[in-house]
Amino acid sequence: MRTSGIGTRYAFYVAALSLALVAVTLAASGAIALGRMRVLQQELRDAVTTARAADDERALDGAARYLGLHLFNPLYQLDVERLNEAIQQTQAWLPVVSFLVVDRDGLVLTDGTATNVMYGERAPGPLPRDDVPDPMLIRRDNVTELRFRVAAGGVSAGWGIVTLKEPPWEASLRRLEEERTAELWQGHRASLVSLGALVLLATVGVGVLVSLLLSRTLARPLTQMSRAAAQIAAGNLDHPLTLDSPDELGDLARALNRMAGELRAHEEALRAERSDLAAKNAELERFNYTVSHDLKTPLVTIRGFAGLAGGDLAAGRNDAVRKDLGRIVAAADKMHRLLDDLLELSRIGRVVHPPEDVPLGGLVRDALELLKGQLEPRGIVVEVAPELPVVRADRRRLLEVLQNLLENAAKFSGGQERPRIELGMREDAGERVIFVRDNGRGIEPRFLERVFGLFEKLDPGGEGTGVGLALVRRIVEAHGGRVWAESAGLGRGATFCFTLPGGPSGAAAVPEKQIQSDPGLSGSSGSVQPVSPVQPVTPS
Amino acid sequence: MSAAMEVQASLRRASALSMLLALLASPAARAAPQELVHFGVIAEEPNEPDRMFTVYSPFIAQLRERLAPSGIGVGELVIARDLDDLSQRLVRRQVDFVLESVFPMLTLRERSRSLEPSLLVVRRGEREYRSVFFTRRESPIQKLGDLRGRTLVLQAMRSTSAFALPRAELTRAGIPLVAADEAAADPRSARYVLALAEVNQAIWVLHGKGDAGAFNEGDWQALPEKIRTQLRVFARSRPIERGLIAFRSSLEPATRAKLEEVMLALDRDESGLAALTKAAGITRFERLTTAQRQAVLDWASVLMVSRGR
Repeated sequence: MRTSGIGTRYAFYVAALSLALVAVTLAASGAIALGRMRVLQQELRDAVTTARAADDERALDGAARYLGLHLFNPLYQLDVERLNEAIQQTQAWLPVVSFLVVDRDGLVLTDGTATNVMYGERAPGPLPRDDVPDPMLIRRDNVTELRFRVAAGGVSAGWGIVTLKEPPWEASLRRLEEERTAELWQGHRASLVSLGALVLLATVGVGVLVSLLLSRTLARPLTQMSRAAAQIAAGNLDHPLTLDSPDELGDLARALNRMAGELRAHEEALRAERSDLAAKNAELERFNYTVSHDLKTPLVTIRGFAGLAGGDLAAGRNDAVRKDLGRIVAAADKMHRLLDDLLELSRIGRVVHPPEDVPLGGLVRDALELLKGQLEPRGIVVEVAPELPVVRADRRRLLEVLQNLLENAAKFSGGQERPRIELGMREDAGERVIFVRDNGRGIEPRFLERVFGLFEKLDPGGEGTGVGLALVRRIVEAHGGRVWAESAGLGRGATFCFTLPGGPSGAAAVPEKQIQSDPGLSGSSGSVQPVSPVQPVTPS
Repeated sequence: MSAAMEVQASLRRASALSMLLALLASPAARAAPQELVHFGVIAEEPNEPDRMFTVYSPFIAQLRERLAPSGIGVGELVIARDLDDLSQRLVRRQVDFVLESVFPMLTLRERSRSLEPSLLVVRRGEREYRSVFFTRRESPIQKLGDLRGRTLVLQAMRSTSAFALPRAELTRAGIPLVAADEAAADPRSARYVLALAEVNQAIWVLHGKGDAGAFNEGDWQALPEKIRTQLRVFARSRPIERGLIAFRSSLEPATRAKLEEVMLALDRDESGLAALTKAAGITRFERLTTAQRQAVLDWASVLMVSRGR
């Protein structure tokens, strides 16, 4: 698992948020508890203070009376050493901050210390006299001041002024408050730490679970889609995403799959076009070569005989000149024919007639009619299959196909004792294949493809320009079909086949027999009769 | 008596004898000192022996530790109520050596007739000290002679510096010193009252319970600044030895010699010095020179005469 993955990041966010929420909750609960505890402490303090105040005053009153009597003798005798000892002893049972022993003149005799810095100073503040209650208890600034007369038998020797720290019970209470508060806070803090540790563990656990969950529900699909996008980017479109989720991720996956499908279709189309383009380029190259070569031949002839004609003319050989000119004309005628054929070939790619339902049988009869002049002198028997389909095609171009194939068959049947041409249809793997078969010269297998090339003539001395079969291929392929030649070899005859995709519009291909009632078609087929399945027809 | 009973009685005797032998042969029995000496002091406050124990216990412990290898044991500190009590204990051989200032020591020597000063006590670095006579800053008293017919605040009759020495100096100046409450006082004499503590002496002078006071220089310096500044010193005594260690005359010479040796060496290590310091600020002990011994004996005639023997 990647530590910086989206699942981990979101898990961290969730964990941090949870932790913060719990920490705030714990801190808030601690603060509330502490506040309540302080309120309770204050109430306790008030209660104890109220209860102890009276006792405290009574105790201090007793202490003052005891000290007033206890200090009398040393004060009366000016025994400072014993006064100092008495002060030190008093510190053992009272929380004394300072202790002043004042003589009858109101001057400090001793403060109980070795330095006795207050000696001779006027005693600060009021002293209990006849008009002032004895003892005096003055509370101020966390201290209590006890002022009392040092007297015996009604005779006053001076005064004592004792400054006390806060009463022991108050100190205890305050210590209790401070220590207990500190303890409680420490306890609470320890609880917070423990809880925090537990929460941290729980949060980490939850974070891991959330991370795993997010990894499964979010990160993994995203990773899959990321990989799929990378595959698509690399051109590999055959691995559709299998994510079937009803949410946005599912939508995204389906969109990616659609995009991959469309890209695949486009790629296939592009590949086909590229292949087609490559074939056309190859053909164009061959065409260029062939055209330049074949057009060059009559030009060479014309130039050669023009030169000869010039020589013959100078020599006065008129007959020779006439022959030379005749050859020049023949070469020019050939060049003319070549250019006409080329023009026709190029027109096939440019001039397109709208497709229509064409009864193939009728079209065959039209072709035979057009070739009547070539077939009859050669005594060629043409057999046409009786049930030819109706196809959807450019009628004129399809006529050219049939005309060329029949003419080609007739051209190479001349040497046969009983030349014969057979035109029919067969089914190959569910595909209708229309064929024109002859029993003529046949073709070596290695030339079966070559015969469809432009200006390709297996017999250089034969008739024609070598454009016919190229024209056939162009027309058939323009209809989306295929054309090829079959032959068992020289002397074994040849069969030219082609296919045309689809049948008539809105229905399957219809046998011709069903549409022979076409008067125009029957009227024009008097010289060729279809025989079922294949029957020789003698040209009339 | 039957044979069985005789056997049992024999066994009991044998058992008792073996236990006695084991007891005598134990390490404690073997280490038991042959002689036990006692150190005696006079309590400053008769009813507060704890103070003396606190002050001198470390000193006794050091002596006990250092004398044990010599077979000399040191008994519990003997605290006498006063000079008479201590002199009686010396006579009864309950005390073997004492530490006191010169005047009490000479008094004890006179009363017990069996005390020989041997070591000088150096206290707070001083071998000797003086008494100072002080009065209120505005007092007309300028010299000892001005004390005639006036009252001197002293500490206690046993004090050397705050009683015996001032009295000796006054005697030397021809001024008798009598108690303030003495009815038939010579008008040429000076009277005295006892304040029991040095700080009280100063306070009493300041509060008019006496016209002047006298104590040693150290106490003068120890007075609170605020009090001292209201007083002034108008006379000083001759110097006198700070303190003495004296041994009972009948003490074994070897034991005395060992005690002297140990005490003279106490200040040479940390534990011994700490014990000395705790014992009222003793710095060290020094052996009395002949001149010092003679000076001490000379003080005897002066102090005793001034006491009105």
